[in-house]
Amino acid sequence: MSPSDPDASRFRASATDRRGEQDLGDLLIHVARGDQDAFEQLYDRLAGPAYGVIRRVLRDPSQSEEVTQEVLLEVWRTAARFDPAMGSAATWVMTIAHRRAIDRVRSCAAAAEREQKAAPVNPLRDEVADAVEASLDRERVRRCLDGLTEVQRESITLAYYGGYSYRQVAELLSVTLGAIKTRIRDGLIRMRDCLGVN
Amino acid sequence: MRLFWDDLHTLTGVYALDALDSPAERDRFAKHLNRCQSCSSEVRGLREVATSLAFAAAVEPPPELRTQVLAAAARTRQLPPEVNHHALPRRGARAWGWMPWLAGSLAAASLVLAVVFGFLQAGTNQQLSQARAQNLQIAAVLSAPGAKLLAATTTKGGVATVVLAAAKRELVVTMSGLPALPAGKVYQLWLIGPAKTVSAGLVPPPASSGVTPAVLASGIVTGDKLGLTVEPAPGTAQPTTTPILALPLPL
Repeated sequence: MSPSDPDASRFRASATDRRGEQDLGDLLIHVARGDQDAFEQLYDRLAGPAYGVIRRVLRDPSQSEEVTQEVLLEVWRTAARFDPAMGSAATWVMTIAHRRAIDRVRSCAAAAEREQKAAPVNPLRDEVADAVEASLDRERVRRCLDGLTEVQRESITLAYYGGYSYRQVAELLSVTLGAIKTRIRDGLIRMRDCLGVN
Repeated sequence: MRLFWDDLHTLTGVYALDALDSPAERDRFAKHLNRCQSCSSEVRGLREVATSLAFAAAVEPPPELRTQVLAAAARTRQLPPEVNHHALPRRGARAWGWMPWLAGSLAAASLVLAVVFGFLQAGTNQQLSQARAQNLQIAAVLSAPGAKLLAATTTKGGVATVVLAAAKRELVVTMSGLPALPAGKVYQLWLIGPAKTVSAGLVPPPASSGVTPAVLASGIVTGDKLGLTVEPAPGTAQPTTTPILALPLPL
């Protein structure tokens, strides 16, 4: 994927884009009724972010494809159980995606493999981030991440993109568990206010 | 105790990032969320932040993944909605209460649309009066006391939406999202019963919305299923292919 990839613009509609979110919720309702066209549209909107976050966590492209397929199929299978009262449609799907990636990481075999491929976690400066420089979303998220303290940013990116548990993050950053909890929470609250999500 | 509670509360961020250490710890916190309204609403907001992080990491997956996922979905059965699936009893229960209703009202709306389309598609006066007569019958089914709304996915994709008036032994069905057929093939509806199978007519071509005009089927007997097959045009007396839908009709 090159920086000029026109497909990148497809992923602009984030959870914070109200119009986009409404469409996604409607699409999910249709998916729940077995509408394959709706599922195709949902795929085009959410496969990129799902694959992206899974790849951040797992790193291995073929494993990431496998998990992405599992996740999207789970979305198809369980669409009727999406509950808008619990959060947005995008968040429902991304939560499944991230959890599946984490589950994979925490299983021993994957952990060993990942150890070998481990690279410094610098999520906003790797090839993936560079690829979609133009994305408004990415810019906004980057700006909001930049507004955090160094430790808040590190804790959040290690936990979310790195797939580390908060105990592991505490270990890596040599701080107490209590401090990590507070930093992650304070950092996310600051991000929330900066992004304007509710 | 107070200390313990504050301690748990600060875990909202860690939980929202799926960064708790073990499933046991995750469950313990999920239980806490059930009891703590402010925690669960905080988690919801923080999860939206995590979603923004995911969107910021979007990468185009390889094109073959799309083909694989869509093909896998086409042959995967979906789960029905489940009451109280989520671990947030009060909110969850209420939210779930209206979901089937919403799906039902959407389905009913698509049926009404289908009736209107059937009406608009009738060209000549004779067709128009036939359409009018049929619409009256359809309206009678839709408004019959105790009419049941059923929906099912065919094995080829697409959804059949059915209003069954058990007392009248009639139903109205529309299809949406059926795959297009090659020339010379038609979709044919059947009442597949324990004793015999009778044709319930052809599925008319869909309107631009993808929803087909409504078809009325009469004379349903106990044990009948609504079947759908692909047949050579202009339809056959008995099914010649495996049904892509066999929806039991509760009378």
